[in-house]
Amino acid sequence: MERALLLLPTTTYRTQAFLDAAGALGVEIVCASERPNVFEERAPDRLLTLDFDDPDAAAEGVRRFAETSPIDAVVGVDDRTTVVAAAIAERLGLPANPVAAAAAARNKLEMRRRLAAAGVPVPRFEPVSLDDDLAPIARAATYPCVLKPLALSASRGVIRADTPAEFVAAVERIARILAGAGDTSRTLLAEEFVPGAEVALEGLLVGGALQTLALFDKPDPLDGPFFEETIYVTPSRLPAVVQAELATVTARAAAALGLREGPVHAELRVGPRGPRVIEVAARSIGGLCSRALRFGTGMTLEELILRHALGRKIESYERERRPAGVMMLPIPRAGRLRAVTGIEAARAVPGIEEIVITTHRGQELVPLPEGWQYLGFVFARADTPEAVEQALRAAHARLDVEIV
Amino acid sequence: MSVDLKSKVQDLVDTSINPAIAAHGGWVELLDVKDSVVYLQMGGGCQGCGAADITLKAGIERLIKEELPEITEVLDTTDHAAGDNPYYTAGKS
Repeated sequence: MERALLLLPTTTYRTQAFLDAAGALGVEIVCASERPNVFEERAPDRLLTLDFDDPDAAAEGVRRFAETSPIDAVVGVDDRTTVVAAAIAERLGLPANPVAAAAAARNKLEMRRRLAAAGVPVPRFEPVSLDDDLAPIARAATYPCVLKPLALSASRGVIRADTPAEFVAAVERIARILAGAGDTSRTLLAEEFVPGAEVALEGLLVGGALQTLALFDKPDPLDGPFFEETIYVTPSRLPAVVQAELATVTARAAAALGLREGPVHAELRVGPRGPRVIEVAARSIGGLCSRALRFGTGMTLEELILRHALGRKIESYERERRPAGVMMLPIPRAGRLRAVTGIEAARAVPGIEEIVITTHRGQELVPLPEGWQYLGFVFARADTPEAVEQALRAAHARLDVEIV
Repeated sequence: MSVDLKSKVQDLVDTSINPAIAAHGGWVELLDVKDSVVYLQMGGGCQGCGAADITLKAGIERLIKEELPEITEVLDTTDHAAGDNPYYTAGKS
């Protein structure tokens, strides 16, 4: 039986989807987390503890492990594990992204530099050092602009500034967020705010060639001051020529970074001067959002990723024809969650397939830009993308979130 | 379903599984064994825990299948959304 090593941080949303996919494919799994599982001593060939922040040590640990428990594929399930997955795969001689490419995709400044050098359209950008005098930098900046940390994901710490005063305030706020997240970076990214629609492209790289799996519209405007993602709907309603251009630009971006194998999640703006790549991550879509996707005869995104990692044949990369969407439920304000009510009424909205509340009673809720969690997820399918969007909005309107 | 098989699974839950997950404030309750499938419910720190699926598939299922090869699958029936004290909380990727 084939064995796949899954790199599963204890706080990832992605565990169940990948374990289900492994089960469906009949693949034996080895689970690695950053903290020991209570059964690790009982199942040492199935459970591993790895330092995801030390790719070299993790790769050496897995190399030794694989001497007695062979591994056929390595999959990092989210942002935190992309670099370590590449390092492990390289050490085991498995096809994967080069470590330097995975690392560049995790660092927004390095990514921008590589993309710009390759002529891939990106917003104008400048690094900002937290150790410099901010006032003159803010005076010289072009507005509106967006300040963001180099490594945090899911819009955490991303803030728009329209004036020098907002620039300085945003940088100071991001510095506090970084300190709270244990991120020791002293550099931020300041970039041009690109007005226009934002989309997300989900793809799979196979031998350096990008297969576009889905293009999601994000119908809620992302104009700041914070950039909370809510609704994703696919297929995109953008003209076919624009969609083709977005796929081409994403493929160029992946190539410029040196990415060659596995999932990519790209975010792009359709600006007045054409598409601009906001980021290309060497991972699949986050949260539970992949539940909105099905391929071929019902294959999940995770099955597709595992099949590719194992070198199995993939008959079709075609997404189902029916429009689908997901709403990441925003955290409305800070506090502790007492209850989410109205779930049955929201489920009764035509087109709604599933509502999953992922926060628990009593959990501290922290909204953006400091926060990093979703309240939950709503999934819909309908005959048109418009109907999917309407169903998601109607369901959301029926939910009542009690926070104390 | 053989009562004997269910009591063997219960014995594993009592002597091997629950003592291990108690370290994280969790527990497992055996609901049934039907057609070689074990139905469990998780509570305490396991209910809603970000690592519960790993514990179930790579830990609990593995242990039960090893001791009782006639068992083919272990299914979790827990309402994880109702957990109010999970050991690890899922967050954005």
